[in-house]
Amino acid sequence: MIAEPEIEILPHKIIERNKQREDKFNFVKAVLLDIFFVFYSVVVLKRAIYYKFFLEMRELPFSWGDIGILFIISIVVGIFWASTKTSLSCKLFGIAKDNKTTKWTVEIFGWFLFNITFIAGWIVTKFSLVDLFSSEGIQGAQRIFGALFQPEMGIFDDALFAIIETIYIALLATLISIPPTLFLSFFTARNLMRDNKVSFAVYYVLRIILNFVRSIEPLIWAIIFSVWVGIGPFAGMIALFIHTIASNAKLYSEAIENIEQGPVEAISATGANKVQIVWYGVVPQIILPFLSFTIYRWDINVRMATVIGLVGGGGIGTMLIQYQGLARWHEVGLIILMIAFVVWVMDYISARIREAIY
Amino acid sequence: MIVEVKKLHKIYNNGTHALKGVSFSVQPGEFLVIIGLSGSGKSTLLRCINRLIEPTSGTVKFLGKDITHIKGEQLRRAKSQIGMVFQQFNLIRRRSVLTNVISGKLGAISTFDSILERFDKEIIDEAYRNLETVGITEKARIRADSLSGGQQQRVAIARSLMQNPKLLLADEPVASLDPATSNSVMHYFEKINKDLGTTVICNLHFLSLVRKYASRVIALKAGEIIYEGLPGEINETWFRTIYGEEAEEVEIR
Repeated sequence: MIAEPEIEILPHKIIERNKQREDKFNFVKAVLLDIFFVFYSVVVLKRAIYYKFFLEMRELPFSWGDIGILFIISIVVGIFWASTKTSLSCKLFGIAKDNKTTKWTVEIFGWFLFNITFIAGWIVTKFSLVDLFSSEGIQGAQRIFGALFQPEMGIFDDALFAIIETIYIALLATLISIPPTLFLSFFTARNLMRDNKVSFAVYYVLRIILNFVRSIEPLIWAIIFSVWVGIGPFAGMIALFIHTIASNAKLYSEAIENIEQGPVEAISATGANKVQIVWYGVVPQIILPFLSFTIYRWDINVRMATVIGLVGGGGIGTMLIQYQGLARWHEVGLIILMIAFVVWVMDYISARIREAIY
Repeated sequence: MIVEVKKLHKIYNNGTHALKGVSFSVQPGEFLVIIGLSGSGKSTLLRCINRLIEPTSGTVKFLGKDITHIKGEQLRRAKSQIGMVFQQFNLIRRRSVLTNVISGKLGAISTFDSILERFDKEIIDEAYRNLETVGITEKARIRADSLSGGQQQRVAIARSLMQNPKLLLADEPVASLDPATSNSVMHYFEKINKDLGTTVICNLHFLSLVRKYASRVIALKAGEIIYEGLPGEINETWFRTIYGEEAEEVEIR
């Protein structure tokens, strides 16, 4: 709030008004969260615990009508709950009316939510000690472990070429991701973009896009690109490239957000423009973290590249899935050992490089 | 008047009311020192003058012109005439002393040239002259973070001199230095004030330094001016009013 200079302002009023506005906003958030809590509890109680556990149903009945009724009930209960002293969300947003009462209700509701979540999780994952320790299961485990520890050395040279391919996929994906990542990271750093509305909108949209891209695993990108550009190393490389941009842009921009403000302040006090402030105040502070993140990402990409191979992204993973399909466990054993060795070496090398540059 | 501050208020987003209607003016050539406890609003006041912080209300006039609401190019031009020196020096650590000094001139260098770090010979010569003023020409090619605190502050002074400032703001410039170094750094401010005629507004903690260097003193307490006068007039009573009943003066020489 920048008031006009001519108008005499009463500062206490501004503070009070801001506080009231914030409280109102928090109350709306608290109501929404309370509705969610109620809805979540009701759905979990009904579907996971009542249907699955007590009635032991295999197929759960589903209708939007049912969900709708539950939702409307939750809205009513949620609004009512938020306006009482016992509200969990009011406490979370710091607008609880009576701290003494809220203290014990928060404990009770907190425990309740945690417990139904835990129980539902147990039911959903079909946790079963019987399956884990049945004699049939143990035999299967013995068979596969026996084969894995007697690797077939006949395919060593093929596997070696495949794993080198994997390392190159990871390396190239990391290298060509650097320029776009750098570019994006400046536009997704809050401290550089919050000055005016247009840049803040750009920041916001870019953040959403990057979060979306990042939330899709490289494995799924590999599936998409294996259809797009055909099965093979290129699909795997592009998949890693896309995901590396999205996740490193976040790391880079966080590094930008965490810089020392002093030099930025000093440079902007000299009357420098935005680009100059970034170049002199920001860039020198972030080169080392950027380098470190990038090397670490190469290491991660080598690991991911092996997994991506499983869905047709080329390299050692593709080879692994072929032998696994033929149930040739001795060959699979060799491939797994080689992957483990390479991952271990990459991990060590990248750690040493990162140590050295700091 | 070089600076005229009128009814300046600053309320931070967290509700802190840092400045409560501060008004004062500064004549060209003055060495104005602002004293007060930590949190009394000294830093906020300085940063409102060169708009590193946006004041909530009130006006700041610089060279007779209201700079409280100007934007963009105009604001940058105003900023480039006001030098600033900070408590933590705020140098670019991984760059050479020379680059740091030249960075004070960025307002006058084109964006393209500054990214390529392509500087005119005159600018480089000027940077060396300013390093000479603060007496560390021989360190020009060294990385800024390898210098001692006092030397870093002198580089920061040289950087602000690159702006040929009409006004030099100094936010507790010696608070992270030892007493001997403090005195030598303050000496450079005095030199700039006397020899170049630059107006200086400086936040300080130690009264002994205030008495030695200030031509006029303003004391802030909880965001308000409670004293305005000559440094010699600060007696025991005033001292206790400004710094609180418990305070006792520490002598550093």
